[in-house]
Amino acid sequence: MSDSIRDRLKAPAGHGEQAGGGDTSRSDVTSGDFVQTDSRSAHGPGQTIPSPSATQAGDGGTGLVGGGHLSDDPKRAKRAEQAVAALFLLSLVGVIGFCVTFAAWPYEFGERYFELYTPLLGIFMTLSLLGIGAGAVLWAKTLMVDEETVQMRHQLSSDPKDREATAELLKKGFEETGLPRRTLLRNSLLLGAGSLAILPVPFLFGFGRFQHKERVLAKTGWKAGSRLLDELGRPVKMGDLEIGGAKTVFPDVPGGRRLADSAAFIIRMRPDELKVKEDRKNWSIDGHIVYSVICTHLGCPVKLYEQQTHHLFCPCHQSTFDAADEAKVLFGPAARNLPQLAISVDADGYFVARGDFNEPVGPSYWERKPHYSEPKYNAEAGS
Amino acid sequence: MTSTRSRFSGYAVLLLALAMVGGLYTAFGAPKSKAADGANQSIAIEEGRQLYLQGCSTCHGLNNEGGAGGPTLIGVGASAVIFQVESGRMPLAAGVAQAPRKKVKYDRTQIDQLAAYIESRGGGPTLPKGRLDDGDLALGGDLFRTNCSSCHNFAGVGGALTRSKYAPSLKPADERVIYTAMQSGPENMPRFSDNQLTVDEKKAITRYVRYITHEAKDPGGAPLGRYGPVPEGLVAFLVGIGLLIVITLWIGARA
Repeated sequence: MSDSIRDRLKAPAGHGEQAGGGDTSRSDVTSGDFVQTDSRSAHGPGQTIPSPSATQAGDGGTGLVGGGHLSDDPKRAKRAEQAVAALFLLSLVGVIGFCVTFAAWPYEFGERYFELYTPLLGIFMTLSLLGIGAGAVLWAKTLMVDEETVQMRHQLSSDPKDREATAELLKKGFEETGLPRRTLLRNSLLLGAGSLAILPVPFLFGFGRFQHKERVLAKTGWKAGSRLLDELGRPVKMGDLEIGGAKTVFPDVPGGRRLADSAAFIIRMRPDELKVKEDRKNWSIDGHIVYSVICTHLGCPVKLYEQQTHHLFCPCHQSTFDAADEAKVLFGPAARNLPQLAISVDADGYFVARGDFNEPVGPSYWERKPHYSEPKYNAEAGS
Repeated sequence: MTSTRSRFSGYAVLLLALAMVGGLYTAFGAPKSKAADGANQSIAIEEGRQLYLQGCSTCHGLNNEGGAGGPTLIGVGASAVIFQVESGRMPLAAGVAQAPRKKVKYDRTQIDQLAAYIESRGGGPTLPKGRLDDGDLALGGDLFRTNCSSCHNFAGVGGALTRSKYAPSLKPADERVIYTAMQSGPENMPRFSDNQLTVDEKKAITRYVRYITHEAKDPGGAPLGRYGPVPEGLVAFLVGIGLLIVITLWIGARA
């Protein structure tokens, strides 16, 4: 048996690719007693398998078939067996180690060696899985009998007689429904079933009156009169920022510092550096100006402020905004200016918002209407 | 035996004498030096002026008025001097987009003299008295993440800005440089007044920066520049795929 295997191994690989497919397959089947054929195939392999299938079936030297075997060398076989057994036992060690670590290793912050808790779990789990896997591969490579087999495919199509019978059955069944004769039934069925195709058409035109009217995406937490709070919850007042200073601020509403869409950035620059157009002249005070920090491209926080160039820079895709000129886009993929928050100062000297941002913050979305709240600021500009 | 003892006793007497001299100096000499503080200060200012005229006036002007080469230094305060000179950025070597950190040209005394001189020219922020490294670490972390990390990265390793400018790594900066940077807002860094971040809050940030750049461990072993998920993902991908290829080759190889 083993001799014949070795002979087979010496034979050139990729026999299936040699010319004359059908013949080669047949010779495979007849030459080796270990070659199996598909028992379900009712036909002889040589007749039914055309040459392309034979190429696939014959495992044309794809390297999936190993070559070594130690069954004739008891000493080496013994060693290989021990190596495989060691790997399997390593798996056992891994499982025990995992359970012990899970149950007993210190894991709370600050405990001695607590930082090894997760790595140890990982190492032991790796050992437990890798031991079984590597052992199995080594076992297959060294100890199992190694042979090439050819398994013939059976023909994919059914017997012509069966096919004819099925076709006959279907035809008869169709006639028995009466559809060929009863035209009213047939036409009404076509009309009713065909109309189902119209069902998804309304969805192409949006959800109509179910569309949300709240404009949740267009609004943020800022209300007229809310103070500007810093990250520790303190209101920011006039004079807190020096020229060249900047600060992240949040609206003074319940949970305001957790409203991701409301984060804003107050910047102070020399008033003569700030370009203020007539329609926004009441939106900033004495060189203090507030913008949304959410990039109009994909929503990253734009807080990289350069106090000399007044660039606001988005770290994600390098969009650059000019903080001195309505945060207009100087560079990068952002399509729109950063929304601006109009501010004023209350009686106690604290900055307050005069409403929401002038535009919906952040990236575009389908129902976005630009400038929807802008006129409100200028209507109350008398304050 | 006797000679050994006498040798030791000689040292003991010498030490005692030194301690007494020191004690006497502290007791009587110290008040005198306090009285002479103003005089020392004006000496420092004069020394600083000489250093300034030699090393800085070419660009910043003979009267700190600034010029084509450099900005005015009136009103920038001692903190700006300490930051710029102690980090080696000044004197500037060449006109580039951003002054790089270099070898420091002046010693600590000279820097303090320069700072005293500039401070005398219109005031400005100065370092607070006392230690800078005893801030509240947890508060510093909170403040660092909202105020600093957007440019300097969560781990303080710095990052790119627009047009070949960059936020530098915070690792080489000592406490004085970190603190004065916040006060003076060098180059394109925003300035943080004491109303915006109090002295204690700036100390907390200073403490936190020193902690993340020098004391914090890398639990994963290699920091990979601490740039975050991009290099980590790359390494995981390359190592993972490489390992899978090796395993595949081993499974497929003939024994």
